[in-house]
Amino acid sequence: MIVAEAKPFDEIKEMVNGYRKVLVLGCGSCVTVCMSGGQKEAELLAAALRIARGIERREATVDAKTILRQCDEEFVRQVRDELSSYDAVLSMACGAGVQGMNEWLRNVPVLPAMNTRFIGLCEGQGKWVEVCAACGDCVLGVTGGICPVTSCPKGILNGPCGGNKKGRCEVSPDVPCAWVLIYERMKERGKLEEFKKERAAKDWSKRQRPGRYTHRP
Amino acid sequence: MRPIIVPPCQAACPINTDVRGYVSAIARGDAEEALRVIRRVNPLPSVCGRICTRRCETACRRAQVDAPVAIRALKRYAADLAIGQSFFTRPLSSYPEKVAIVGSGPSGLVAAHDLALLGYSVTLFEARPVLGGLLSEGIPKYRLPKEIVQREIGAIVSLGIEVKTGVRFGKEVSLDGLLWDFDAVFIAVGSGKGIVPQCDGVDLSGVFSGVDFLKEVDRGDRQAPGRRVVVIGGGHTAIDAARTCIRLGVSEVTVVYRRSLEEMPAGKEEVLRAEEEGVRFVYCAAPIRFIGKTRVERVRFARTALGEPEESGRRRPVPLEGSEFDLEADAVILAIGYAPDAEEIKEAGLKVGERGTIVVMDETGATDITGVFAAGDVVTGPMSVVDAMASGRKAAGAIHRYFRRIPDNAFDRLVSLRPLETSVTAAIQKSERQEPSLLPREQRTTSFDEVESALDHEQARREALRCLNCGAGATVDGECAACLNCVRVCPFGIPAMGAQTVEIDVAQCQACGICAAECPACAIHLKDDARYPMRPGVDRVLEKAREESPDIVVTGFYCCFRHPLGPPVERHALSWIPVLCLGRLRESDILYPFEVGAEGILLVSCRDEECRFGRGVRLLAERVERVKTILDDTGIGGSRLSVVAGDDECDRFIRGIERLGINPVRTGKRVAA
Ligand SMILES: Cc1cc2nc3c(=O)[nH]c(=O)nc-3n(C[C@H](O)[C@H](O)[C@H](O)COP(=O)(O)OP(=O)(O)OC[C@H]3O[C@@H](n4cnc5c(N)ncnc54)[C@H](O)[C@@H]3O)c2cc1C
Ligand code: SF4
Ligand code: SF4
Repeated sequence: MIVAEAKPFDEIKEMVNGYRKVLVLGCGSCVTVCMSGGQKEAELLAAALRIARGIERREATVDAKTILRQCDEEFVRQVRDELSSYDAVLSMACGAGVQGMNEWLRNVPVLPAMNTRFIGLCEGQGKWVEVCAACGDCVLGVTGGICPVTSCPKGILNGPCGGNKKGRCEVSPDVPCAWVLIYERMKERGKLEEFKKERAAKDWSKRQRPGRYTHRP
Repeated sequence: MRPIIVPPCQAACPINTDVRGYVSAIARGDAEEALRVIRRVNPLPSVCGRICTRRCETACRRAQVDAPVAIRALKRYAADLAIGQSFFTRPLSSYPEKVAIVGSGPSGLVAAHDLALLGYSVTLFEARPVLGGLLSEGIPKYRLPKEIVQREIGAIVSLGIEVKTGVRFGKEVSLDGLLWDFDAVFIAVGSGKGIVPQCDGVDLSGVFSGVDFLKEVDRGDRQAPGRRVVVIGGGHTAIDAARTCIRLGVSEVTVVYRRSLEEMPAGKEEVLRAEEEGVRFVYCAAPIRFIGKTRVERVRFARTALGEPEESGRRRPVPLEGSEFDLEADAVILAIGYAPDAEEIKEAGLKVGERGTIVVMDETGATDITGVFAAGDVVTGPMSVVDAMASGRKAAGAIHRYFRRIPDNAFDRLVSLRPLETSVTAAIQKSERQEPSLLPREQRTTSFDEVESALDHEQARREALRCLNCGAGATVDGECAACLNCVRVCPFGIPAMGAQTVEIDVAQCQACGICAAECPACAIHLKDDARYPMRPGVDRVLEKAREESPDIVVTGFYCCFRHPLGPPVERHALSWIPVLCLGRLRESDILYPFEVGAEGILLVSCRDEECRFGRGVRLLAERVERVKTILDDTGIGGSRLSVVAGDDECDRFIRGIERLGINPVRTGKRVAA
């Protein structure tokens, strides 16, 4: 799942400064699941903007709404007329949503309220961790289902390196060594022979941007 | 006819009282609303608040955790605040039909009440000079003071019911006569005749029926029947007769029952009260002979053993040979049951069933004579006040449909929520049941003063807060993003992933509101709650506060579980909003008062480890931090928001707000809502 987090409030406030009538638009998919950009957060951001504008004695309308997905035109089309009555839409979707919205709305600027962070997993209520770097050449099949490209700060394919101290990475004691985790997992599965094999360099050309995918080429 | 799922208390109540509705109103401190909820179905609330057999409490799911909610005592608490006050007025339009009601016990009274409210002219015939049936003459006044009965009856009669007391059906009026003058007749003459055991010596003087005895005492015609009295039986009547004897000054009162305490129809509590007053109990013994010359002197009993269960589910007592023993007695009160007067019924031409009851077609109370209906104890044999009321209500509805030619549709079928699962009961905080205080024993044995008193305000609030709000919990709407936050956050582990969205089992949810406050999609709603349940309260409170204190207004949210009696402190400039656990407050609820102009917000919660729902306080703390950040960001300032504990802290906070001055939102232009 895509995880995003709200930008600092001042930055958002500044961004919508020139617009009188603003709609904070939540997205009902990934960012709702990671609690940062669903209806609840949209309402809260709208209230904060109203308060801030009130203090600055600026007459302004800031409303909140959420649609199921901002990254598909069909969903956006359903609310196009309604959105067109605003001077700006402040999108709480990931970067894909914001770009799609700008493409399909045209007459209203759509501004990003979020910083899109990563593809991640939930680690318990309200906590997410990055687990996939979208490298385009997946190695999970030979690493016990743990991604060294994402979870090892150095992204090495044949670890651990000498910087591992008691299972922690030298980069920070908060970061577990991904390669120790891979070792433990493969040991548990009786795959230590495989662990010892050398892994060839990855094909980084697959990561050339912008990526494209066609379901039935 | 779709089944309607209701809390177990409501399903068990014969008149389906919205128990949860009135109990939660008391918990909020709104006793008036509580009484309105009760009066919607019950025109005798102060009576029921004292002597109802409380099937609701037997069904109450709080018993799965500790003890049932003291529902009856709460009803009395609310009802006593306005005894005899009329809640309804006679409808303006009326129907031409006239109904005769015979018998003014609870069954007749409720039928009269309902038919009058529907717009019929009702005439109530009663053989005795007073209305009320066993409520007025029978149930002793130390349990049910007669002024209270009369005041509640007064309110019913004031709906425009014509009353004819001292008129006996079968004597002064006949069924044919009534059918000539009225369009329908409803018979609710009760079960007035005591049952006499088939043994030698029952005709001796000094042997008499319990119901007759109690009626005579209420009429003021009875002195102590002797020095040593033996009461035979194990129901209400037996215990009431024994306790009445004590109050009349009888020095030795023994109740003899043929089964054990466990099978006794009178509740254990009543037995306990009687014992406290000096009544002696002998179990597992049945009378075989009354001995004496003209007046009874002794009763011979045989010990019994309990055999196979009978139809009633209770085990049949079997006399044991050679186990006889005698008890000396100057008087014997027979309280082994009572039945309708079959002769009266037969003479009227009605079909008589076993035990002398009137035979009816179904629960509408229709008899085999068109236009004649019957209900209450005369149909069922001895039951209870609330059963009699329920049957009166059904008959009134049936009479209305009969007149208006509306088909007898099936009644709503109320189905109870399932019991709580043990994983849920284990997570529910225990809390002690509040009991009403009792008259000191010396006063009980020498007077007919009422024994039980009402709960005081504090007890009532505390007790009402014990209610688990069964069935008023969370529901999930179509906006659910299946994010599973509710699944992770619920203290009771109730939400579970369904096919598309999360599902919350209404039978298990504890209505804490935590999941709704955490839901990022705003897709969870507590039943009966609006989308922003806090806002109207905040608007109201702020408007009022602003009038009184134009400069500084501080809004306080306090947890009702922590402060059941109301706001923790009263201060000028401070206006309170009660909340059932602050764990249900969302960030936007806390931010909202600032948006509409409050200078400061105080939150008074429980201590973390005391939270009724376990994690409400912890989650609140996280949300408060979040809102403080927003307040700092927007320019209001996080120091205008605080979670406080004691009075001093409240004062310090208010002084701090005074220093900070007016909410900057107010000095700027108004914001759009
Ligand atoms: C001692 C005792 C204690 C009880 N305690 C409780 C208790 O604590 N809780 C509880 O729920 N229930 C209790 N009950 C049961 C309850 O009182 C009855 O179930 C209930 O009153 C039945 O109501 P009813 O309207 O059918 O008849 P009743 O209350 O018996 O009323 C019948 C009325 O009809 C009148 N009548 C009779 N014959 C005629 C006639 N021919 N013409 C005109 N009028 C007539 C009678 O005078 C009486 O007023 C108790 C009963 C007794 C005897
Ligand atoms: S806990 Fe409350 S709602 Fe539930 S059964 Fe008891 S009184 Fe009724
Ligand atoms: S309201 Fe409370 S008990 Fe009910 S599902 Fe939500 S969190 Fe669980």
